[in-house]
Amino acid sequence: MSFINRIFRSAPRDPDAARHIAEQAARDQEWQSCLAQDRLPSFVQRRLADTKSGKLPWVSTTSVGGLLAQRTHGIKPIGLVSGNCWYQFGFSWTRGHYDGWHKAIGRMWQEAAAMGANAIVDVTMKVQRMANTSGQMDYGVLGTAVSIAGLGDSRDPVVATVSALEFARLMEAGIVPVGLAIGAHYQWYYPYQNILGQNLSGVGTGMRMGMGIGMMGGWNQEVTALSEFLTDVRRTAVGQLQSDAARIGTGVLARVEYSEIVPGEEQEGVPPRYLARHIAFGTAVLHNPRHHLPMRLRSVFSVKDGKMTPEVDLNQEVI
Amino acid sequence: MADETTQAANPALDQLPQRALERLKGMREAGQQSGVFTSDLSVNEFLMVREAGFEPLGMVVGSCIYHVGIQYGSWSKNQELNVLSQAMYHARELAMERMEREAHALAADGVVGVRLEVKRLAWDQNILEFLAIGTAIAHRTGHPGFKGPKGMPFTSDLSGQDFWMLLRAGHRPLSMVMGSCVYHVAHQGVLKSLSNVGQNTEITPFTQAMYDARELAMERMQNEAMAAEAEGVVGVQLHEGSHNWQPHVLEFFAVGTAVKPIEDKALIPEAISPQVVIPVND
Repeated sequence: MSFINRIFRSAPRDPDAARHIAEQAARDQEWQSCLAQDRLPSFVQRRLADTKSGKLPWVSTTSVGGLLAQRTHGIKPIGLVSGNCWYQFGFSWTRGHYDGWHKAIGRMWQEAAAMGANAIVDVTMKVQRMANTSGQMDYGVLGTAVSIAGLGDSRDPVVATVSALEFARLMEAGIVPVGLAIGAHYQWYYPYQNILGQNLSGVGTGMRMGMGIGMMGGWNQEVTALSEFLTDVRRTAVGQLQSDAARIGTGVLARVEYSEIVPGEEQEGVPPRYLARHIAFGTAVLHNPRHHLPMRLRSVFSVKDGKMTPEVDLNQEVI
Repeated sequence: MADETTQAANPALDQLPQRALERLKGMREAGQQSGVFTSDLSVNEFLMVREAGFEPLGMVVGSCIYHVGIQYGSWSKNQELNVLSQAMYHARELAMERMEREAHALAADGVVGVRLEVKRLAWDQNILEFLAIGTAIAHRTGHPGFKGPKGMPFTSDLSGQDFWMLLRAGHRPLSMVMGSCVYHVAHQGVLKSLSNVGQNTEITPFTQAMYDARELAMERMQNEAMAAEAEGVVGVQLHEGSHNWQPHVLEFFAVGTAVKPIEDKALIPEAISPQVVIPVND
């Protein structure tokens, strides 16, 4: 008998398993009501409280270097915080990125706020897909809640995303990373109603004459309509990134981008449409542009190197 | 006799320690604890481990081939598959323990750079192979203050550099701590799926399954760290895997190194303060 069938055979008879199932049902119920009301379940709250009070060991995703920042900058790890959101894209995968990440980050923030953290550092982003399901995936974020000596508890931790050491480095320079900014935009291009309402050369004309892009003639030429269309989509996404960042900070660092243009499904007698999308992430920072903190720079030999970008792994193995 | 003549003739060799000389001459006796070490340390790791006052002793391994038991679950329910959770945890524990025992036999203070791997075996999908491998190290002058819980060698997945840095930060590693949770994510009913068609929406039961599984794995790891009397856990990683199981079954595995402050203050190396370092060849 295959493993799969064995998993889904009839229910077990032993009492231990029955008790386990009952406990799980209660836990399930609490999760359901908490997720619906944007609250944390009591058992999560208890663990976070115990971690905060030192009854449970602190937990940190940061590398050991992060501990150095505790000794020198008073940045102390409290606990690991996480959030996720499993999202189905009905009409838009691109829009899903915006909503899904924001929801996941909101949940992670909730955990950090419950511990009175000043900031969440070392944030990693990860997506999960499941085999046999399409048009949906899980957005997950993971980070370390930290407290900063001398600041007291905060009810609104900043989502700093960078590592503890980089956080210290930015603080020294008078800059505070405050959150993740996202810009995501997609648009369809329909050849006959070209976007600018003008008679464009390239795709527009070619399409009307029943030609595909590959049949535009033997000479070098720009596919002007698609160029303009894609530029437009990108500008909108970057504009959205900017306004998302404006909510919380004064600028964006270290952008990660995903961008593509693909033809839609072909239909008889209709020239192909095109889907363009652009997704951009970055760390929003808060600083005073008129204030300059000079840094003394010297050359050193580094034994550890890190990047300033939030880690995004969009190619997570299918589970 | 011929050897000694060569030595006298080459003044550069005078600078070498006797042991290195013996090694170069290929005279080292095999099987001695003070003899040749093996490791999977990189050059930088080797330098930093030695800089921290430790010497590598040898590569240590522990393996465990485990038959994963039967587990019942319900098609439409989110639930932990606790038999599988226990199997995954127990098998790793066995592999780690065997590696620790090897290190103990080498009179090591601890093991750094531990890699913990799970492999599928092609010939039986119910059997998994667990492997723990790392480099055993010992304090050069044999200070007793570095042992892990219960006088056993400490274990840590930290690299040589991180190990050095940890001591600089005033902490020492105790043991690798883990938490595992294998979870069955409920299948969505057809009606529910239909009602969501064309909508951009969160699928809450799935979110919940992932959240709950992660929470359970974390909680277990923290409890294990508490049992090891750790102050905290650094470098925590969270892995999701499906190990050849059916599509809706996945494992959340949390792993990190439990640490505590170094008790003997005389042992704490001079603190280094992080400097603003901006690589210009980014």
